[in-house]
Amino acid sequence: MDIFANLAHGFAVAFSPINLLMCLIGALVGTLVGVLPGIGTIATVAMLLPITFGLPPVGALIMLAGIYYGAQYGGSTTSILVNIPGEATSVVTAIDGHQMAKQGRAGPALAIAAIGSFFAGCVATVLIAVLGAPLTKLALAFGPAEYFSLMVLGLIFAVVLAKGSVLKAIAMIVFGLLLSMVGSDIETGASRMAFNIPELADGLGFATVAMGVFGFAEIIRNLDAGAEMNRDLVQQKITGLMPTRKDLADSTPPILRGTVLGSILGILPGGGAVIASFAAYTLEKKLAKNPSRFGRGAIEGVAGPESANNAAAQTSFIPLLTLGIPPNAVMALMVGAMTIHGIVPGPQVMQKQPDLVWGMIASMWIGNLMLIIINLPLVGIWVRLLRVPYRLMFPSIVIFCAIGIYSVNNAPVDVILAGVFGLVGYWLIKHDFEPAPLLLGMVLGPLMEENLRRALLISRGDWSVFLTRPLSAVLLAIAAGLLILTVLPVLRAKRDEVFTESEN
Amino acid sequence: MTVIRALTGACAAALASLCAFVAPAEAQTYPTRSITMIVPFAAGGPTDVISRIVTAHMAQTLGQSIIIENVVGAGGTTATTRAARAANDGYTLITGHMGTHAASVPLYPKLAYHPEKDFEPIALLAGTPILILARKDFPPKDLKEFVTYVKANVEKVNAAHAGVGSVSHVSCELLHSILGIKPVGVPFNGTGPAMNALVAGQVDYMCDQIVNAVPQINAGTIKAYAIATPERNPSLPNVPTTAEAGLPAFQAQAWNAIFAPKGTSPAIIASLNAAAIKALDDETVKKRLLELGSVIPGAKDRTPEALATLVKNEIAKWTPVLKPAT
Amino acid sequence: MADTMGHSATATRNTRLALGFCLLAIAPQIFELIWSIGTIFGWGAGRGPATVVTNHATALVVGAPATLIGSVGGGTKKASSEVLLALIYSYPLFVVAILTLFMTIRSAQDYVGGVVLMAVALFALWAGSDLQGMRGFSFGAGTAPRMFGGLLVALSAGIALSGLLTEGAALSHYSWRGPLFVMAAILFFALAIRPLGLVVTAFASFMIAALGSHETRWLEAVIVGACLTLGCAILFPYVLGLPMPMYPRFLIQ
Repeated sequence: MDIFANLAHGFAVAFSPINLLMCLIGALVGTLVGVLPGIGTIATVAMLLPITFGLPPVGALIMLAGIYYGAQYGGSTTSILVNIPGEATSVVTAIDGHQMAKQGRAGPALAIAAIGSFFAGCVATVLIAVLGAPLTKLALAFGPAEYFSLMVLGLIFAVVLAKGSVLKAIAMIVFGLLLSMVGSDIETGASRMAFNIPELADGLGFATVAMGVFGFAEIIRNLDAGAEMNRDLVQQKITGLMPTRKDLADSTPPILRGTVLGSILGILPGGGAVIASFAAYTLEKKLAKNPSRFGRGAIEGVAGPESANNAAAQTSFIPLLTLGIPPNAVMALMVGAMTIHGIVPGPQVMQKQPDLVWGMIASMWIGNLMLIIINLPLVGIWVRLLRVPYRLMFPSIVIFCAIGIYSVNNAPVDVILAGVFGLVGYWLIKHDFEPAPLLLGMVLGPLMEENLRRALLISRGDWSVFLTRPLSAVLLAIAAGLLILTVLPVLRAKRDEVFTESEN
Repeated sequence: MTVIRALTGACAAALASLCAFVAPAEAQTYPTRSITMIVPFAAGGPTDVISRIVTAHMAQTLGQSIIIENVVGAGGTTATTRAARAANDGYTLITGHMGTHAASVPLYPKLAYHPEKDFEPIALLAGTPILILARKDFPPKDLKEFVTYVKANVEKVNAAHAGVGSVSHVSCELLHSILGIKPVGVPFNGTGPAMNALVAGQVDYMCDQIVNAVPQINAGTIKAYAIATPERNPSLPNVPTTAEAGLPAFQAQAWNAIFAPKGTSPAIIASLNAAAIKALDDETVKKRLLELGSVIPGAKDRTPEALATLVKNEIAKWTPVLKPAT
Repeated sequence: MADTMGHSATATRNTRLALGFCLLAIAPQIFELIWSIGTIFGWGAGRGPATVVTNHATALVVGAPATLIGSVGGGTKKASSEVLLALIYSYPLFVVAILTLFMTIRSAQDYVGGVVLMAVALFALWAGSDLQGMRGFSFGAGTAPRMFGGLLVALSAGIALSGLLTEGAALSHYSWRGPLFVMAAILFFALAIRPLGLVVTAFASFMIAALGSHETRWLEAVIVGACLTLGCAILFPYVLGLPMPMYPRFLIQ
């Protein structure tokens, strides 16, 4: 009963004209930010913070929240169209989404991403309203040991999502882990493998490496002689804009499963949202009757992760709204926005600022509705964009990526580094290495190392904590099981291969 | 081919002009264009919020806009290095901080700037007091008990901090050096995760700035032993000062101040200092800073000379504390 | 592909590969030499080319073997960074290069991929060699980099080995035009964005990148480039509020 009263109150707040406008602006800017490669949510929210000084606090936060989850919607667009993931959470979308685009099915891919995101967003919003407070316990139950085990599980997901050689996939993960070590060490502050380059002091940025190994490398590869024919083929092949009935039927279970996974993992501050999208992909690939379709344009590989990352984007508000603790950098900026308005979020924010909390929750639902209304018609425009001749497309993408990377830190060196990673990515493609596990290793590497070291510091060097803490043990058990499931068929296949070869 | 030649020609010309700028600005008409204020931390943090509140008022006084540029990285030293190398025409300023302009000297032996030699002090803005915080079920009841407990259980306790060079790290190092102990410090990536661990009870205590801690203390999810300033803070009237609680030696404040690159003309410094003082005297600015729990400097602490002395004293204060730590 | 090649062709291929690996083995040294040429003109701080050459040459020829023998003899003198580079990075790769001469490579794609990845891992091991290891129960700064560096050496050796044992793809063809001009455009953007501002830089980079494809039609490219520049000049600073220099610095002042 209480919840209905609160929600009614929230909707009353959210439906005021100014807040509706703020929500719309947030959704629009978020979509734009998500679509533009390289431009990160953090940079944009940081830049827009001063504008919110003049706004009422509720409106300001509704707008900032809109940018955050709007970017999750938009992030899938470039992943699907040009194989450039704008956020860590849309790396997996690029795998099957871009393959679908290459087969002329960009429309259905984009549409299913929007529909999945909408459904997940709505469910997760309800979840925040109903179960926000009890779910907070989950965020607090996760200590360093549990996070470490979760990261191990995340890395196993990365192995599963590889479509080629498992050995190469593991090598790419470790390469990513090594890249993530660059920069200052969290515990001692020592500079690691940074060669006294000031821009490397804080490590390689995700956007820098992602734009390089996905964006620039893809462009260079497409400029190879002989690639033109394939491109022309894509342009002729473009078929329907909207998903067929079969697409919808195929996508429904992944959307449901992705929503559940994303909602749970999103609550965990630090890496939860990224792991959610990878976990959803892995789950779909493992459940599929024919896993070999994955990586070759399976619609389930778009529907699952996109629902998961959007659900996670919503539920990641839970620690902020119930504990007042920002789980990621964007939320930390929102805390900054609240502080500027004299509201310091804390455990009592729900009681003290009902307008703010329930208004925000209600606005998320409205925002999701707005996003799908904005995004579905845009599908047509995006698909038409694919018809632009590549000779004009590729310099434009280069410029957009360069501006995007520059804008993250205002650092020209980042742009050069992205270029270098473009060459690395080109080399990786030529040697049949996949970039997605590399990126996941890079994102999860620091989290894994930090939490391992934290756990060992707290336990005074006792490694058994990972097994004696029940939650951590369960996560490690799942990881071990998954690894066996992945490696066994490969070994069997290898053996078969050897046999067939010897017969020849 | 002609296109290529024309293009390369244009590029060459453009690059040549790269080296040909540098024009000294006139101090009399200063400022004639917008001023860039570099903030060495992310938007939304205490330093950023204080800078934004004060510079918004300063811009009105100076009649030109002040653009805040957040440059994050390496505990703020990336931004400070950039500011030290910027043109000393008064159009690039930096909000320096206890970390960037004092603690960085012993922390980073290869620091590319020196706070005293490469900067002209302009004005002290505001400080955020530091609290000694602990998880809510940590046994000691007050600061005295805390001191005895931590000394007795130095092998068992875990102190959290928000990363090497952060305010919570260096202030806790100061506390430990006063107590003469070296407990295990558990590093987190920012104050948010550190606070999360404290609320969840995974670590025992930490030192942190007042801004993030007030709501948690009021809600009872963590407890505060003392505030490391000479006076109690209006936002936490029940928390005693370290002097009252029996540890007067522990005094720490995350101060924020405006600096300009070395060699900026005295006239520009004077006009900036006047604008900053005017902003600190403004009622709305004052109210917003106090809401954050900040301490606003008194009249005698607002001159460039006073800031220069503060920097000198702070470097002297942190060097012995942090030198053996790294 | 590989099996259609005659035996002698494979042999020349292997010699070329071995030479390539030798070059890779001294690539960091060569890079530092090229970098050091800049110091002649007063760009950047660092050692002059002459010092670089002598230091690395002595390290490669004299220092490293001496340290190697010394460590066998039980001496634990601290080696210089050049000697370490030679020991950790160059020597293992020389060994691989020599071994390559005697191998039948079944999948050049995997073999070369594995060896180059191994070079990256060895280089990372060298770059992290100055970091502190375990300190009691707590990890030092260098523990994790060394752990993952070692793991990557093992994995890449496995990949190279699979290139020797199982049939697979040959080396694929690299084109030069696309990478060259796209990189040039990126490099120009990075160098010019601060002094020249967004308008000039974006347009010039667009045109440089456009050189990367032989399909480019110039009039069309100029028009699109101009429109795109205009769009970016409105979108990024005004709509998204990202602080970016717009026009060349010398025009503003």
